[in-house]
Amino acid sequence: MKYIFKNQLWALVLVLFAFSCQDGSEKPLGKYETGVLILNEGNFGTNDGEVYHYNPSLRALTGEVFEFENSRPFAGLLEDLVLEEGRLYLVANTGKIEIVNPDNFKSIGAVTGNLDQPRSLATASGKLFVSDYGPYDANYQTPDSYVAVISGLDGGAVKTKIEVSDKPEDLFVSGKNVFVACASGKVEVIDADSETLIKTISIPGKPTQFLEYGGKLWVYSYQSTQVSFHAIDLGSLQAGEVKSRALPKATSRIALGDGGQVYVVTSSGWPNYEDAVAMISLENEQINAAWKKGTGFYGIGYDRERQEVYLANAKGFQGNGEVVIYQKDGTQLLSMEVGRGPSGFLFR
Amino acid sequence: MMLVLWMFAGLGWMPLQDTVSLSEIEVSAPSWEHFASGQKVISFEKRELNDYSARSLADLLQEKSPVFVRQYGSGMLASPSFRGTSAGHTAIFWNGIPLNSPSLGQSDLSLMPIQAIDQVQLQFGSSGALMGNEAIGGSVHLKTNPSFEKGLKANFSQTAGSYGLFHSGTSVHFSSQKLSIQSRFYRQFSANKFRYRDLSLPGTPEKFQENAQVEQMGWVQNLSWVIGEKDLIKASFWWNQADRQIQPVMGSRTRDQQEDQSFRAVWDYTHFWNNSSANLKLGWVQDELNFNGIDNQTSQFFLIPEWNFDFWDNWEFKVGGRATFAKGELSTYSAKDNRLETYQSALWRPKEVLSLSLNLRQLAFEDLWKPFLPSLGVDWIFWKKEKEQWMLKSSMAKGFKVPTLNDRFWEPGGNPDLLPEESLSGELGLHWTKRGFFNLEQSLTYFRMKVDNWIIWMPMGAVWSPQNIRKVTNQGLEYEGKLDWSSGPLDWQVQLGYSLTQALDLTTDSNRPQQLPYTPRHQTNTALKAELGSIAWDFSGTWVGQRSIGTGDSRKMDPFHIWNTGISCSALKWGKVQFPIRFQILNLFNADYQVLYLRAMPGRTYQFNLSIHL
Repeated sequence: MKYIFKNQLWALVLVLFAFSCQDGSEKPLGKYETGVLILNEGNFGTNDGEVYHYNPSLRALTGEVFEFENSRPFAGLLEDLVLEEGRLYLVANTGKIEIVNPDNFKSIGAVTGNLDQPRSLATASGKLFVSDYGPYDANYQTPDSYVAVISGLDGGAVKTKIEVSDKPEDLFVSGKNVFVACASGKVEVIDADSETLIKTISIPGKPTQFLEYGGKLWVYSYQSTQVSFHAIDLGSLQAGEVKSRALPKATSRIALGDGGQVYVVTSSGWPNYEDAVAMISLENEQINAAWKKGTGFYGIGYDRERQEVYLANAKGFQGNGEVVIYQKDGTQLLSMEVGRGPSGFLFR
Repeated sequence: MMLVLWMFAGLGWMPLQDTVSLSEIEVSAPSWEHFASGQKVISFEKRELNDYSARSLADLLQEKSPVFVRQYGSGMLASPSFRGTSAGHTAIFWNGIPLNSPSLGQSDLSLMPIQAIDQVQLQFGSSGALMGNEAIGGSVHLKTNPSFEKGLKANFSQTAGSYGLFHSGTSVHFSSQKLSIQSRFYRQFSANKFRYRDLSLPGTPEKFQENAQVEQMGWVQNLSWVIGEKDLIKASFWWNQADRQIQPVMGSRTRDQQEDQSFRAVWDYTHFWNNSSANLKLGWVQDELNFNGIDNQTSQFFLIPEWNFDFWDNWEFKVGGRATFAKGELSTYSAKDNRLETYQSALWRPKEVLSLSLNLRQLAFEDLWKPFLPSLGVDWIFWKKEKEQWMLKSSMAKGFKVPTLNDRFWEPGGNPDLLPEESLSGELGLHWTKRGFFNLEQSLTYFRMKVDNWIIWMPMGAVWSPQNIRKVTNQGLEYEGKLDWSSGPLDWQVQLGYSLTQALDLTTDSNRPQQLPYTPRHQTNTALKAELGSIAWDFSGTWVGQRSIGTGDSRKMDPFHIWNTGISCSALKWGKVQFPIRFQILNLFNADYQVLYLRAMPGRTYQFNLSIHL
């Protein structure tokens, strides 16, 4: 599951933790316990993915957090940041997962072997479930995609691989069910205890990300001319209600804002390459296809606490990228130079 | 018949020319250096190349010149950066024909073993008028030089070294008064299983490098034939084949495999008159590259007629042309490209101490005449005594680079509307030579350059496409010094080199331009050599300063300092058979370093070489 609900989960953990403190003692905040973690994917062939930390209150940016705290480079292409079970998982699509303490970023574990192209991660039943494209074949296709299972929350060896449909992306956990959005047009459900595939749900287009809104689980899917949100019934494991919106050239990059507003990065692609951020509503039929226009948009996030939109620009991967922060009404607040290939955010 | 090469030993900033004495008449065919007044040139001769016989052109340039070589690992892709420019801004010639791939616009220096060549010359700065396409930062000239009247000679060379290195070379050379035939064969192998610290893993454990094995072999055939009284034919053929596992960047476990095969042939005919010579050169270069089973092939044919004449006192001229027929059969497209160039050069020597050269070139490609390229240079010895001289060198020149076939035609992403990259550069150099107990040669050169329409491949959604977006200004200083003296039976030589390169990218943030990626501001080379008769010891070091891995305020890589040492004995004999030996230690202090980010480089390396000269 990408960033959207993990902060809520973390907030829940914090609340539980706060109520569990019986003696009233106060623990000092960790350096990275609040603020925004900026995921910088890095450049292909350079493996310079990294995490930056932004403190919105102080407007202070800290670069290369992983290397600074661990005295070694991250050395991978950073695909996802997952905050679960009191741990921060850094998923590298170059074949590893680093696990750090989310407060101080000190390494507490890793998965370094027997993975190919990990995309995301979720925890369930005390295990790690990692979506992985699998290896490329001779035609640069990935017919052997899987979800890898690791027995411990602090990493270790891959215990087993569960074959899933091509290009598994986001994961969502409900009870012992692990939902896997596969961009080849499927949502698959894995039983976390038996580590077996128990259900395959067909979804038109490229389902890539889960959202939780209005008390329901939705999976976001995009096609060449429209995007759609498909409700998944957590009990019957069936696809139900569908909300479709006409939106050409949508990408997998989205962020859930307030009141059912979803920000979607669109790109005309080759050869004109005109990017935009579209704003669509899950509540009504309203669409603003060009809330922001530009080139190089590579990631988007929404800070619920401050009601601000974070828009990442990879700047052609030639060097550092840029993050621009907007108020909800579209007013630009500031821009800042971040690491190479900024692609996502984790708001804490 | 006598063929003499005049060269300037060491730093090599004096003109060089092929001089052929035919019967009673001595005539000459000036080569490019003759018209390169005011430009910095460094030359490495066979004797200096011997120390690098088991190594590549990349190692030589990095350790003995101001050129920075971007190496993706030991034996992996290595590309030169002259004065802060890119690999595609360096023209590379072999016996006068361009070698750069028309699809990639550059060459891999790791695929150019020193064993295959006799002479290396480096020319610095833009020189489009004299060299043609791609000479924006500089040019590299590789030569095989014939010798005559030596009879039958044979050499065998074997090098064994750390990490499974095993290099072999054989050459057979026959020469009479009018004929010179030489054959060379080489095979270079390295398992490349060196230990390195894997920074991508917790605890940064030491590991053996995987997937980095390199095997390379080749055949070089040279023929020189003096016909009658005034004609000379030279022909050369070079086949090189390399099979490489591509060393993955730390943190990745890729298992890429690349095979390269190149065929290069040049046929060269020269007719001499009393005050002129005409030369016709035909060239063929075919490159095949197979990456993970995907084939790409390019071929180029060259037709280069040239006429040199000096009918009037103090004046020398050259007029010529070059027709290039290039063809690419790439994995995603097929394309042809024809180019026509005409050029004229004039050298005026009003006095012995002063020479001025003017070079002009006009290029035509894609049915358009563009661009026109002039260059002007001057060499002035303004202070000269019996054992000392001071010389001023200055030049201005334009350079250009036609977009490569991939730039224009790659599917998807190729951009047929690209403009040529263009440059304007100037330099001012001061050279001091002094003879005595201490022989001293020193040079200090200031250069300035502007490169416009620099082509960068940018992501356009899911597709990468080249754009003329980058503007760069470069300036810097280059110092080279050499000192030699004798102390009793010992001969000593000290060499120092330092380069300061400021290469500012005006594109990313013109108000606060930053140094280009992988372009160190500072670089030094040092060398000490002592000779006692036939025994020689050398100790050399290369220091490369901090460099960033991307544009803007990107991550900076630490400087590194590599020291090498070697000892050799050239006088070992058994009867008439000579068998010189050499032992060297590379990276003597076992420095843990990377040239490019997260690309592991080997630690201390031992190499032993035995040659047999028959």
